[in-house]
Amino acid sequence: MGDNILEVEALKAYYQMSYFGVNREVRAVDGITMKVKRREVYGIAGESSSGKTSFIKVLAAAIRPPLRVVSGSATYDFGGPPTDVTVATPAEIDAIRWRHLSYIMQGSMSTLNPVRRIGRIFEDFAARPLGLSGSAFRQRVVEHLGHLKLSPTVLNAYPHELSGGMRQRVTIGLATVCKPDFIIADEPTTALDVVVQKDVLSLIKNLQTEMGASIVFVTHDMSVHANIADRIGIIYAGRLVEEAPTRTLFTAPKHPYSAHLVASLPRIGDTTQRPALEGRPPSLAAPPAGCRFHPRCPLAIDKCKTEVPPLVAVGTDHRSACWRANDVEPLVPGHSRAGVAA
Amino acid sequence: MQGYLWFAAKRFVQLLAVIFFGVSAMFVVTYLSPIDPVEQVLGRLSARSNLSPEAIAATRLALTEMFGTDQPVLTQYVNFWSRLLRGDLGASLMAFPTPAMELVLRALPWTLGLLLTSTAITFVVGNLAGGLAGYFQNSRLLKAFGIVTMGLQPIPYYIVAFIILIVFGYLWPVLPISGGFAMDVRPGWTLPFILSVLQHSLLPALSLVLVGLGGWFIGMRALVSNIVTEDYVTYAELAGVRRDTIVGDYVIRNALVPQVTALAMVIGGVFSGTVITEQVFNYPGMGSLLVDAVNAGDYSTVLAVCTISIAAVALAIFIVDLLHPLLDPRVRAE
Repeated sequence: MGDNILEVEALKAYYQMSYFGVNREVRAVDGITMKVKRREVYGIAGESSSGKTSFIKVLAAAIRPPLRVVSGSATYDFGGPPTDVTVATPAEIDAIRWRHLSYIMQGSMSTLNPVRRIGRIFEDFAARPLGLSGSAFRQRVVEHLGHLKLSPTVLNAYPHELSGGMRQRVTIGLATVCKPDFIIADEPTTALDVVVQKDVLSLIKNLQTEMGASIVFVTHDMSVHANIADRIGIIYAGRLVEEAPTRTLFTAPKHPYSAHLVASLPRIGDTTQRPALEGRPPSLAAPPAGCRFHPRCPLAIDKCKTEVPPLVAVGTDHRSACWRANDVEPLVPGHSRAGVAA
Repeated sequence: MQGYLWFAAKRFVQLLAVIFFGVSAMFVVTYLSPIDPVEQVLGRLSARSNLSPEAIAATRLALTEMFGTDQPVLTQYVNFWSRLLRGDLGASLMAFPTPAMELVLRALPWTLGLLLTSTAITFVVGNLAGGLAGYFQNSRLLKAFGIVTMGLQPIPYYIVAFIILIVFGYLWPVLPISGGFAMDVRPGWTLPFILSVLQHSLLPALSLVLVGLGGWFIGMRALVSNIVTEDYVTYAELAGVRRDTIVGDYVIRNALVPQVTALAMVIGGVFSGTVITEQVFNYPGMGSLLVDAVNAGDYSTVLAVCTISIAAVALAIFIVDLLHPLLDPRVRAE
């Protein structure tokens, strides 16, 4: 696998449910192929119910019924034998969890067990993967908390005694104390106010550079992506529709959906009205035929209604799944001139 | 720690207030009751012996003085408290002149032992099984356990108790169905007596446990099936935290907070519930004593039973209250 730490091949993961004998299938992840390089921050963007959460559930090896992997693979390379999380045994997954593969959860009141002291939570999460215990373990944790600008006294605190920003830093600390190679960050800044957001983002970025970890960073907030991601993948209705380095995606998107996402970013001093996208994301239980975006797409032609556009290269390191990729223009001129909004 | 002591002190004042008002209410009820203790005792005495009218009048005078019923209410009330604080609730009318308190103290260990043990067993087993059933939702064994306990739950207690009597007293007579201990053993701290007491308490305890399990089981299972979807449980699972730590310290531990609150309320109801148990199994506890006293119009014994019950219930709730902040650190912030 060489340069890539994660390779996802034609991954399909569906929710398969049965209500009173009627089978229902929700195609949450429908044929995603992507790679994450070592030391890279890969941003995943998409609106609610686009399947991004299901996708990272598979990446995090949290595949539980009714979610099932139908076909494809998601393979990690942590130096040893590669681990395909779609077929790995629980023991194999346990062996990579936290030591190599960790997870930062969405910032919320309930990420941390309310009746357990932070120190005990650190023990639960990290003592086994680190192979340390007692004072050696505590010393390691205190040292790590220093990187996060947290005082060792938080170890004796209960979660409710900390502020939202501190709790999120504790969560990041939990996810990084074992120095994992790969971190999945699921909307880690969404529930925080912007000042704390900036703090948390730079913290994640610093830790990532220091440890040389790869991050898959999920958020619907394009301005956060602009700040942190090296490359961005846009997911629409269970499929990857465009993938490009951050600057390229913001300046020259090659998919009408990404063009609208990028255009939604406000800019100081710009009072022009943003073009809104008509309609709603399609139901993943009965997605439209052809390109799934065609009912909302201003550029749609007849071909889009019947044939699924493949994700093909449209430039260096730039892939798009659109029959009219070459006709897509950036919607807000400011972005194409000034570049990334941040 | 200082905050905790302050919390405990406040709760202790509450405890005293509850006991004071509860016992005062009892005094008012007995004062308003149409039973005159003097006539009650007099009736008993004259039924057994042939007294002259003069002797009856003299006895009535002596008894009135002893019970103090000719005094104004307020004086009676003050006297009542001053005697109560010395542990004296007057003579029992049905077992005159044995002090009512002595009757109660004789019955109390039976009730306490039976109820505390069966409540503890019910709470632990019900919550543990409910917690596991909520977490391991596909376990056949736990599903079967749930069906049985929930099937027993809606059956009225006295019917379950009678079914147990019929099964173990008639169809398969292996256990004693009546009394607190066997006739042929002498009470005392001897092995035969303790074994006999345990043997006799098995059926009443079993009936209480069977009926009580369902409530705890259903409550805990519902709480847990909510908690397993909480972020902190998902997160711990993603981090590969040990399964027993997740079930014990993350799931059940959090669900226990409301369950302990519920325990305080159940303990409150426990003393009244024991009346039926003790009647069905002819158990020598507070419930039987209360029923006998009410039937005999023995108001000082009723008063004594109720006073002790009020104090015991208030004390149990006080203890549960003290446990609460230890279980849930968020309560301490009060």
